[in-house]
Amino acid sequence: MSSKAFAYRRATERRLIYALVIVLAAMIMLPFVWLVLMSFKTNDDIFAFPPKLFFTPTLQNYAGLWASSFRYSFLNSAVVSVSSTLLALLVGVPGAYALSRISIRHEKPLSLLILASRMAPPIAFTIPYFLAYRWMGLLDTRLGLILIYLTFNISLVVWLMRSFFDACPRSLEEAAWVDGATLWQGFTRIMLPISGPGVAATAILCFLYSWNDFFFALILTRNQAMTAPVAVVNFMNYEGWEWGKIAAGGTMVMLPVLIFSILVRKFLISGMTTGAVKG
Amino acid sequence: MPTIGLPAGRVAPVTKPGPQRHRFYWHMLIPSLAVLIAVTLAPTVFLLATSLTPLDLTRPATIGDFTHPARNYWLLLEDRRFLNSLWVQARLSFWTVGLQLLIGFGFALLLNMRSSLLQALRTVFLIPMVLPPIVVAIIWKVIYTPDISPLHWAIQSLGWRMPALITDANWALTAIIIADTWEWFPFTMLMILAALQMMPEEQIDAARVDGASAWQLTWYVTLPYLKGVLLVAGLFRLVDSIKAFPLIYILTDGGPGSLTEVTNYYAFIQAFNFSFLGYSSAITVVLVGFTVILSWLILRLVGWGRDVE
Repeated sequence: MSSKAFAYRRATERRLIYALVIVLAAMIMLPFVWLVLMSFKTNDDIFAFPPKLFFTPTLQNYAGLWASSFRYSFLNSAVVSVSSTLLALLVGVPGAYALSRISIRHEKPLSLLILASRMAPPIAFTIPYFLAYRWMGLLDTRLGLILIYLTFNISLVVWLMRSFFDACPRSLEEAAWVDGATLWQGFTRIMLPISGPGVAATAILCFLYSWNDFFFALILTRNQAMTAPVAVVNFMNYEGWEWGKIAAGGTMVMLPVLIFSILVRKFLISGMTTGAVKG
Repeated sequence: MPTIGLPAGRVAPVTKPGPQRHRFYWHMLIPSLAVLIAVTLAPTVFLLATSLTPLDLTRPATIGDFTHPARNYWLLLEDRRFLNSLWVQARLSFWTVGLQLLIGFGFALLLNMRSSLLQALRTVFLIPMVLPPIVVAIIWKVIYTPDISPLHWAIQSLGWRMPALITDANWALTAIIIADTWEWFPFTMLMILAALQMMPEEQIDAARVDGASAWQLTWYVTLPYLKGVLLVAGLFRLVDSIKAFPLIYILTDGGPGSLTEVTNYYAFIQAFNFSFLGYSSAITVVLVGFTVILSWLILRLVGWGRDVE
């Protein structure tokens, strides 16, 4: 085969692969796009047969949603996720730094504890927390959710931040000590600023995990502290099947998630394999 | 300044005495460890304790009743619904993990080219995995609800008939498997893609020079190279498949009958529909046992998270 013919074949192959990938991408996207489109349809358009590809978009679902108590749930979601993330960073980042700088004897049990706490089915935590919260009056409170989200957020922070600190050369803080900095200053003035991007990525991952939670919020809240994912599902039960509002609520819940995930997509897998794979 | 002029690689004499530093690090570490243990390990011990009692919220006297500690576990052995849930779980896990590995591998091979178009499309393939699980469940509820489903409309306009999958006894589990596969194939795809990009090019080139076809290359060179990552990705998905909840809650509610009731879901029903928290704890302890064993296996495989220095 001449080199020209070979190059031609390679180019054709490449174009075929492109076409295939684009078709597959469209297929994967379709279910997701459908929901977003649905959120802009009137109830009549949603039930139209055959379904309308071209329709006059309306914001009535979003308006109706915002007029309902959904906006409080959305606020709950935001407050709870942000608070739990900050708390986890506050507690976890110093620990991660220390862990990266000393060798401890019981490394393996710690690794297993972190991985297993990420792996355990949520119900394993829900039953004890439910009983404890009933007794302490923490059911249906934001504080209750913030605390139970620490079950995954602390492990996430400790594990991810530790690998970020591992990547920071020790000579930097040692140079600072030589210049008279205290141990604490070495951490706050040198190490924290350097690992700023790592902290940001970790914070986003914690936020996503908390924001996406459905199970804990379903069990531990009723109405005061109900989060957005649970509120969306309630449109399925009590007020009949309000598909327009369900679609609009779903779209609102996933919007921050999509934006943030694309920002941290490099770290998605390390976040999901916390405890086992190096970040 | 004393550090200037030292050859690179030679660390400056550390001015902070060792014990002082050591103490400082422990002061930083202990709060994290304490909180981690308080929020994860302590509840697990508590769970173990409640699993030994007949705790039922409607009967306050059952709290802390340890007279027949193993009773829940004996009951489990004879509970047909529990045994059925294990079988449903096994089938769900088998099919979702298998399909996700297969599809993830296929997509990773397709996307593993240097091309800005494919680079951009990679982000598109991520979407199902990063969506909130509850939104994924809603998306598939729409697709499986005949009145409003584009899928049902497409099938119908081709002149075929399709039952409502999630209420049909023969199809309900398959419907969940399809939705779960859609949601999680990006995970296996990403892990495989990352491994593919680290694959030494010499291996491929050598095989090419020897005249290997694309299929032979995949089967004899790529696949053996990916064995480890396939195993780890599969194990991660296996553990996660035990946690399947939102899809089942929204799509089938465990039904029809208990055909899609996985063990996790059965534990949820026992605890929060029937309020048998003690019995549910026992079911959950079994699940936690599985996850700890699988986690340990993963750590054995990947070498406990990081290389021992």
